[in-house]
Amino acid sequence: MVDLSVKIAGISMKNPVMVASGTFGFGREYSRMYDMNELGAVVTKGITLLPKEGNPPPRLFETPAGLLNSVGLENPGVEGFIRDEWPYLKTLQVPIIVNIAGETVEEYRRIAQRLSPLEGISALEVNISCPNVEKGGMAFGRHPDSAYEVVRAVKEQSPFPVIAKLSPNVSDIREIALAVEEAGADAVSLINTVLGMAVDVEKKRPVFKRVFAGLSGPAVKPIALRMVYEVYEAIRIPVIGMGGIFSWRDAVEFILAGASAVAVGSAIFSDPVAPLKIIRGLEDYAARNLQTRISDLVGLAHRNAAEF
Amino acid sequence: MHQAEIIFNEEVARGIYLLRLCADKVAESANPGQFLHVKCTKVPHPLLRRPFSIADTHREEGTADIIYRVVGEGTSILSQKRPGEVLDIMGPLGRGFPSPPPGTLPLIVGGGVGVAPLLFLAKELSKVAGLEGRAFLGFSTGREIFDTEVFESCGFSVELATDDGTCGKRGFPTELLEDFLKGEKKVQAVVYACGPRMLLLKVKEIAASCGIPAYLSLEERMGCGIGACLGCAVKSAKGGYKKVCRDGPVFEAGEVEIW
Repeated sequence: MVDLSVKIAGISMKNPVMVASGTFGFGREYSRMYDMNELGAVVTKGITLLPKEGNPPPRLFETPAGLLNSVGLENPGVEGFIRDEWPYLKTLQVPIIVNIAGETVEEYRRIAQRLSPLEGISALEVNISCPNVEKGGMAFGRHPDSAYEVVRAVKEQSPFPVIAKLSPNVSDIREIALAVEEAGADAVSLINTVLGMAVDVEKKRPVFKRVFAGLSGPAVKPIALRMVYEVYEAIRIPVIGMGGIFSWRDAVEFILAGASAVAVGSAIFSDPVAPLKIIRGLEDYAARNLQTRISDLVGLAHRNAAEF
Repeated sequence: MHQAEIIFNEEVARGIYLLRLCADKVAESANPGQFLHVKCTKVPHPLLRRPFSIADTHREEGTADIIYRVVGEGTSILSQKRPGEVLDIMGPLGRGFPSPPPGTLPLIVGGGVGVAPLLFLAKELSKVAGLEGRAFLGFSTGREIFDTEVFESCGFSVELATDDGTCGKRGFPTELLEDFLKGEKKVQAVVYACGPRMLLLKVKEIAASCGIPAYLSLEERMGCGIGACLGCAVKSAKGGYKKVCRDGPVFEAGEVEIW
């Protein structure tokens, strides 16, 4: 029997497959389709201090093996989350990681403070990488100093483990990873979407009002994998890998590159049960490779790279 | 999610296909205006599912129909599928058309492939004995006209318009609606519309000026199809955004801002 369980940042998960923030709402939407308790963890849509209405349509645009989005963090705000979403989420038997975003360091601090009495939150994922908002978001995640400041502020407020979600839209992601580790992050998750754009050839203007949007899907997987590989070597805290994971094979690549857990995002749109299929695939793979624990595979590609 | 076998997938007018699926759960529960979210390929490209309005169901046979126009990669792949192949579908999803209050005259306005959900609606409405209604249907050209006789068999008198005048009146179905309402000053009616954005915008204007309710079926690129990803936003009249997949695709005209 293979053991898929992992422990990351103090969170015990029965398997290393989570759902990525923004692709799974607050869970309820999918509760009719399958048993969410089979997942490793659920990561919520990003929440902000005040409700946010998000960006005007269009918000989605398909690209070759990819998806551009410009949702703009539409969410009910921390009070709306506590009132309308938390009562359902807390009934689940699966670790809940709440993704938080802010326009200022103070906002991150206040959200963390407001969430701290909620027993049952497994961790906060600090979004310093959303590319689709005017202020905050990715702006914090592009510089080591501001990334440090945000994570430090949340860490000081929060009784929960803190995961920093990193942006790929930087020249050296290792610098950011090191800064958030220094600030006390318990883990990092990467990557958020890659900044991209599309042009409407009939209207002869950008597709999105905000011009640039976030690219996800298989198109970004090689970039994500490279960054996970780099960050794994640079820091000591665990890495949660994501970016275009559509199959168990993709998930294994991330694990071998150094991810202690993975998150499935846009694949859910194509196949809502993709995370469950990936879990089954990981079980088979681990069994075939005579591993008893999936965690023995983490980062193996680094050691084996020496064989060339 | 269901795996649904294709029974029929044929071009019924130029560029317009009728796809019949063996999907008893859909046939049992679908309401007019609801949609199916269809995975066109097994590979991750094109990445998203495609939403299609349900055009008809047959409960006894356990089948559901969609009618689609080949406009891009997803629909092009779909048009190559053969009977016996299996499609991964989600649905029925979304909120459909409400029934008209007793004694009101249903007025259907459809443009192009937007006629599809209105076919299902007409069939459901015709279950009320002695129903009379009006259908104003527009197509770009005569060769793209499909299924208008279905409306007639459901008790609707049909008026046609084409952009190029090859069939019916040259112009738009909204002009036909306007002409009709001019002659019927005090009619108790309700409008059901689906089609291009300009058609919906015009229907909204006409219905508002005549003080009659209108229900519009909107189209938008969708991600999840169930209200989780917030990708298919439409501006709400009350501020913020509604989601076409979850709050719609059918909206009362006053609920949303069409631009």
